[in-house]
This record gives sequence, C-alpha cells and structure tokens, in this order.
Amino acid sequence: MRRTQAHYFIFALLITAILFPPAYAQRLTAASAPLRLTLPVKEGSVRFAVIGDTGSGTAQQRDVGDMMIKYHALFPFEFVLMMGDNMYGGEAPQDFEKKFAEPYRALLDNKVKFYATLGNHDQALQVNYENFNMNGKEYYRFKKGNIAFYSLNSNYMDKKQVQWLEDELGRETAEWKVMFFHHPPYSSAKKHGSDGQLREVVEPIFLKYGVDVVLTGHDHVYERMKPQKGIYYFVSGAGGKLRTGDIDRQSGITEKSYDRDLHFMLFEVAGDQMYFQAISRTGETIDSGVINRR
Amino acid sequence: MMKKRYIFIWLLVCLLILASGVAVGQKTQNAALAEPVVVSPADKAAIDGFEKQVKSYIELRNKVRANAPKLSKDSTPEQIHAYRTTLENSLRSARPNAKRGEFFRPETADFIRRTLKTEFQGKDRQELRETVFETETQGVVLRVNYPYSQSAELSEMPATLLTKLPQLPKELRYRFVGRNMLLVDRESDVIIDYMPDALP
Repeated sequence: MRRTQAHYFIFALLITAILFPPAYAQRLTAASAPLRLTLPVKEGSVRFAVIGDTGSGTAQQRDVGDMMIKYHALFPFEFVLMMGDNMYGGEAPQDFEKKFAEPYRALLDNKVKFYATLGNHDQALQVNYENFNMNGKEYYRFKKGNIAFYSLNSNYMDKKQVQWLEDELGRETAEWKVMFFHHPPYSSAKKHGSDGQLREVVEPIFLKYGVDVVLTGHDHVYERMKPQKGIYYFVSGAGGKLRTGDIDRQSGITEKSYDRDLHFMLFEVAGDQMYFQAISRTGETIDSGVINRR
Repeated sequence: MMKKRYIFIWLLVCLLILASGVAVGQKTQNAALAEPVVVSPADKAAIDGFEKQVKSYIELRNKVRANAPKLSKDSTPEQIHAYRTTLENSLRSARPNAKRGEFFRPETADFIRRTLKTEFQGKDRQELRETVFETETQGVVLRVNYPYSQSAELSEMPATLLTKLPQLPKELRYRFVGRNMLLVDRESDVIIDYMPDALP
C-alpha cells in the first residue's frame, strides 16, 4: 500500500515537472540550437534588433539577452528597438538594473543603443532614462541611413500626438518609414488581439503617408501579419514574458506566428530591401524573409 | 442644343458626386483630428471652468517643480527616482486640502459622463470596454494627492475618446481604473482628482 502511494507521489511529481518546468530547467535548454543567420549582411546596410515586453527581470529575459549577444557577434547590429513594457512592476533604481541593464550589459558595453517606446506597464519618466534614448519625449523620430523610425505612445494617442505625426510624416524624406509602438493595430493573440480603436486613428495616417512597416508588442507572442492594405505589421512581444498557445490560428491575418518560447528579431535594410529574422530564446530561427519597398 | 445641355448637367452632377466623395474620404481619414463635438452653452461653461482649474494647477505645479532636482533627458535611475519622489511630496504639501471633485465638479462630471456614455455604447464599442476593464489595476488605491501604484498596469486611453474630452496639457493625463476616471499628474503619477462610476 505504502509503495503504491510512493509510486503515485513520484508519478505526480513527474507530471508536474513536465507541465510546469522550473525556471532553471528552462534555462538549461537555452542555446541548444546552432546559430544560423539568414540575413545577407551587406556592406553599408542598416542593422538593428527588436525586442518587446522585456522588463520581467526573469531568467528567460536574460536567456534572450544572452542569445542576442551571440547573434551580435555574427551580425553586429547597431541599435535595438524596444516595443514597450520595458519594466514590469516597480521602477526603483534596482529595477532598471535587473530588468534592463543586466540582461543586455554586453550589448550596452559594445555601444549598442536602445530606443524605447512606452508600454502600459511603463512610467512616464522612463523617457528621461539615459539608456532609452527617448530624448525626454513620449513620441519621437530618428533617422538611420534611408530609414525614418517613429516611436509613438500608443497608451495616450491624443490630438497633439496625432498632429505631430501628421506634421512629421508630411515632411518626411526618408525612403523607409517604420513605426514602432506598444499596442498592435493587428494581432491574432487571444489575450489582447487587434487594437481596433487605435487602428481607427493611426491606420489612415499610415496609409496616407506610405508607412512601410509597423512594429509592436503587447501580446506576448511573435506574429507577422499578412500585409494589411500594403503595410507589414509585426508583433514582437515576447522578449521577457511569454503567453504560450495564445495565437488564434483561425484569425485569417497571420502569415507566421510563434507562441512556444520567447524571442527577439533582427533586421537588415539594404536599399529597397528589408530583411528580417525572428529568433527564439534557444537560437532557433522561427521566421525570416524580405520586404520589398513599395 | 438640348442634348448638349443634358450632357452639361450630367457632367455637373458627376463632378458634384465626386467632390462630395473626396470630402467624405478626407473626413474619414482625419477622424482623429475631427472638429470637437458640438456642445451646449452649459457644457461649454463647464469645460471652460475645468480648463481654468487645470491651468491654475499647472501654475502651482510648475512652481513646486522648481524645488525638485533638475532632470535631464539622459538621467540615471537614481536621478529619476529622486525627481519623482521630490515632485510627489512637494505636490502633496502644496495642496494639503486637496479633495475629490475639485476638478471633476458636478457640471464637468456630467459632461464627461455623457461623453463616455456616447463613446462606449453600441456593439462596435464592446472591444473598447473590454480594453478598459481587462487592465490589471489591483492595488490601485483611489486617493487624491497620493500616487497611482507603480506595480499596476496603466489603462490605454482610447484614442477616439481623447479627441472628445477636454484637452489636457502635457503635465496631466486621464486614466481609467475600472469604471472610475482619474486625473493624474504625468510625471509623479499623483492622483489629482477622480470621478467614481464614470463609465456606464
């Protein structure tokens, strides 16, 4: 009888371990896939990475950071775009260290610049943080090569911001126009999904001024949408948190999605081509391709 | 001769239809920058009163802010923390008798409630309601002059709604906590005022 109970106990333990693997076990599996770069690494190209919903301060976030560092050796990207939720929970000085500086220390030491946008877990004063390069602004623009990047504050898309966006895009001369912000106008994730009311306001502007690519987070998955009215939309919201099995595969808008592990993205822009590669926490390539400028 | 006149009229009608189509298209494209909602004189007075209150708060706030350490665009986490804490404490000291309803006076609250009701009604606005109500705001204590909990999520303010509410200066923000609507100081996150049961 006692032996049977012990068997039940061990069996229950095994099932629990399989269903809810402890953090250390998950970390052990990191870096199991060989590094494989699908980007062409052309001379003079603009190279950057994308991470979203990172600020958990967990071992998994650090795994993603470690994998980014490995790929940086193969593909020396110059800067990183952050899709918001840069810090979950408190924002005391030690949180900036644990949830941002520590996981990406080697990149920061290598002079890789991070450009952040604000998510629904981020305090307004992050715009003044030295390593987020937001210049004290909740929405801002910067240019690299032939690409103009616009970081928007999707938490608070008021008239002033909309007017600023219209004005800036109206005089934009860069060939590529890339938007990045937190809430996704298109998403197949079940938790949040497409942000219809935001889309109602921003999409007409994107169409009017010929925006090429929109990068977002919020849903803790990876998703590349089928082009929506000619615009390429990505959700990259699992750089520090994951919502396993959250993708609705019947949504009809997905081109490629991944919700089994955390990830980050790499981009390379050379002339009229934008190459991208999405990489899981363990180094597996989960998506790749090229976008041709219209 | 008669035939020519018909062709002319027909062309004129076509042009008119085309022109109205373009006008409608432009209006749709710029939904976010659409003209403000038409308001009654009583509502206008309420909004004016609210904006006056906000203006005097900003004057006080900027005086108080001068006491806080300077914050540059490339500050350290320690500098951010010191600035925020000083601003929060200074704002509280500067408004020791602050109480609920100072900004959202009955007439203003009435206008805002009606605006919210219009914006949130209808089947197509179900998603909007869900967005607000799914925000995890546990731990937020609604208390004027005290900060919004740092560990709580911030509700996304619907872009379409923001165009219809009285515009705020950059120092202030509207925010939802469940059905309640808050007026919050952007940098310190201090709750300046709140309106219970604002959402229908």
